[in-house]
Amino acid sequence: MAVVGPSGAGKSTLLAVANGSLLPTDGAVQVLGISPGQLRGRALRTLRARVGTVHQQLELVDQLRVVHNVNAGRLAGWPAWRAAWSLARPQGLPEVLEALTRVGLADRVFDRTDRLSGGQQQRVAVARLLVQRPELVLADEPASALDPVLADRVLGLLAGLATDRGGALVASLHDPALALRHCTRVVGLVAGEVVLDAPTGRLTVGDLADFYGAPR
Amino acid sequence: MTAVLDRPAVVPPLRRARARWGWGLGAAAVVVWSLAGAGLFSGPVVNAAGPAQFGRFASAALSPARDGEFLRVLASSVGVTVAYAALGAALAVALGALGAVAVARTTWGRRRAGWTLARGALAVPRGLHEAVWGLLLVNLLGLDPWVGVLAIGIPYGAVTAKVFADLLDEVPRGAYSALLASGAGRVPAALYGLLPPASGGLLSYSFYRLECAVRSAVVLGLIGAGGLGYQLSLSFSSLRWPQVWSCVYALALLCLVAEVAGRAVRRRLASPRSSGGRLRRDRVLSAAVAVTLAGVVWSAWYLALSPATLVSDRTGEQLRYVLSNAWPPDTDGPLLRAVAGAAVDTVQMSVIAIAVATVGAVLLAGVAAHPPRGAPAARRLGGTAVRLALLLLRAVPPPVWALVLLFVLRPGILPGALALGIYTLGVLGRLAAEATEELDPRPRAALTALGAGPVGGWLYGVLPRATGPVLAFALYRWEVAIRDTVLVGLLGAGGLGALLATQVARFDWGAVTTVLAALVVLTAAVDLVSARARAALR
Repeated sequence: MAVVGPSGAGKSTLLAVANGSLLPTDGAVQVLGISPGQLRGRALRTLRARVGTVHQQLELVDQLRVVHNVNAGRLAGWPAWRAAWSLARPQGLPEVLEALTRVGLADRVFDRTDRLSGGQQQRVAVARLLVQRPELVLADEPASALDPVLADRVLGLLAGLATDRGGALVASLHDPALALRHCTRVVGLVAGEVVLDAPTGRLTVGDLADFYGAPR
Repeated sequence: MTAVLDRPAVVPPLRRARARWGWGLGAAAVVVWSLAGAGLFSGPVVNAAGPAQFGRFASAALSPARDGEFLRVLASSVGVTVAYAALGAALAVALGALGAVAVARTTWGRRRAGWTLARGALAVPRGLHEAVWGLLLVNLLGLDPWVGVLAIGIPYGAVTAKVFADLLDEVPRGAYSALLASGAGRVPAALYGLLPPASGGLLSYSFYRLECAVRSAVVLGLIGAGGLGYQLSLSFSSLRWPQVWSCVYALALLCLVAEVAGRAVRRRLASPRSSGGRLRRDRVLSAAVAVTLAGVVWSAWYLALSPATLVSDRTGEQLRYVLSNAWPPDTDGPLLRAVAGAAVDTVQMSVIAIAVATVGAVLLAGVAAHPPRGAPAARRLGGTAVRLALLLLRAVPPPVWALVLLFVLRPGILPGALALGIYTLGVLGRLAAEATEELDPRPRAALTALGAGPVGGWLYGVLPRATGPVLAFALYRWEVAIRDTVLVGLLGAGGLGALLATQVARFDWGAVTTVLAALVVLTAAVDLVSARARAALR
């Protein structure tokens, strides 16, 4: 599912509510059939582990090596001692390498994350998700720093990841063509209101371009 | 294009950053060596009879001396301490302003040799703690108020000169060069092109020095220069615990007021109010400057400071006597061995102090940082309590902590080191909390959103990012701690300070020169190591 809309329409807010970082001030929300506002501690962490997010501002830890940033996807399942030990001796290296190979960064596994370019960091964030293996994948502009071919590849990975686990991908996208290629449903937001909700089959690139105020 | 992505992975080997590991392992080894030197692994360090004595001392905390006569004595001691601080800081700023001209790059231009010499000349007054100056001046001038004023003014003046010169040198050159090019002389050009952009920083630093001077004035009292610290040591040696507590409360309050007021003024200077287009001065700042100047005049009257003491025959005679005996320095074997042993003790004390303070600061930083909006009440309450505790730790000078620790620990370098560690924890804890507050909260929030627990989130989201700044602060505080070690040493905790106190008491001025030289070399060496380690961290 693609979420489209002009800047400030509430796309990022919607995703933040869906991953439980924001609680709705009014109304109720159900994530994977559960209301996150009623959960505490362990149960809340388990629900959060089932929802994976790629953020617009990446939000990786610059000073860590790539391997640790990818492994951070497993922090929900790891006890504290294992998380600490992994910083000295990286744990579960084969899975990390497999994920990085799928995004084409296996040769950078031990580099410091801030040594990577913006597009490479975006792929590290995707690799973190591949290791986390969530059921619901939320992506906030996952392709903004990538060239068209890589963008296609990354969205394909994210969509595949979600459907493998029988879940869904919810992505906010700026590129109408990407939305049409990878999503089956498009929701348009303007000033926090849903103004469009249609299967992609009935839409054209031109219909979506209207949403961004782009010249036709 | 997909070929780029599907390229078979060549996994590079995991390579450790060698320089960092070297520094890290070296630091760990030095800490263990220091703890061994403090006798932690060899025999008892706790004084068996201590807890009972400490109980009697602590129980007086709730009933400090409040009788009218003692309160009058206390008030006049506070007056003396404040007067020392005000006059000492004023002297330091005056010396600093003159000295800055002498050591600024702007003055010397390309004549590097002259600049290097001028800078080098500052190392001696700067390398000696104000308490050391106090001890030397007491022997020169006797118990005169000039001792307190000069002991603060001379070392502070040297530091202030260096900082003022750096502030002037850091001003962008554009305006100044343009004025010179238009034919202005160097002095008017500096007045119009260099001074105005630097004035905020200069004033801010002057207030910071005043704040530090209050703490130093208390400490000078402890070595016999009069004032609050002197009253405290009198009450302590006569075992009058309620009086001791009154003094401790008074000096903690004084240091607290100085810090809070100083920070308020400096914050005001850092972000000035807009003037709204009219020529208007900031009232709070004008008042602060006026009150300070009035305070300086009042201090000179209160201490009955007279220039006559400085130029009297007796002072000149004493100075000639000391100087003629102080050179050449004493270099016989037993003394040099004693100096080397004391230098090792001093380094070990400062290392233990910094290790204790750093570990404490890292553990407390998370709680001490201001919580984000919407944090639970318990978290906010805990944060306020920890911040208040840190404020108290740094409001009480290290020698007072050492006196308290001597109840429960056997004499040696451990109580001195821990006292310094407790005080430094107060400073470092605040710096670490501020470093944590400045971190972008989003990476940590992202980890929480994917289900990481509090420990995991802290390990991956906060620790890697906060380590660099906190270690840099710790190394900087180590440079301060090595100077403060001398201070606790003067009061008997061992190391070079204790050795110095002994030689001064024996009027062995040749040996005093040797110890002072060792002190200056040691502090310079620590500054160098710390600067190298900080460069490796970057």
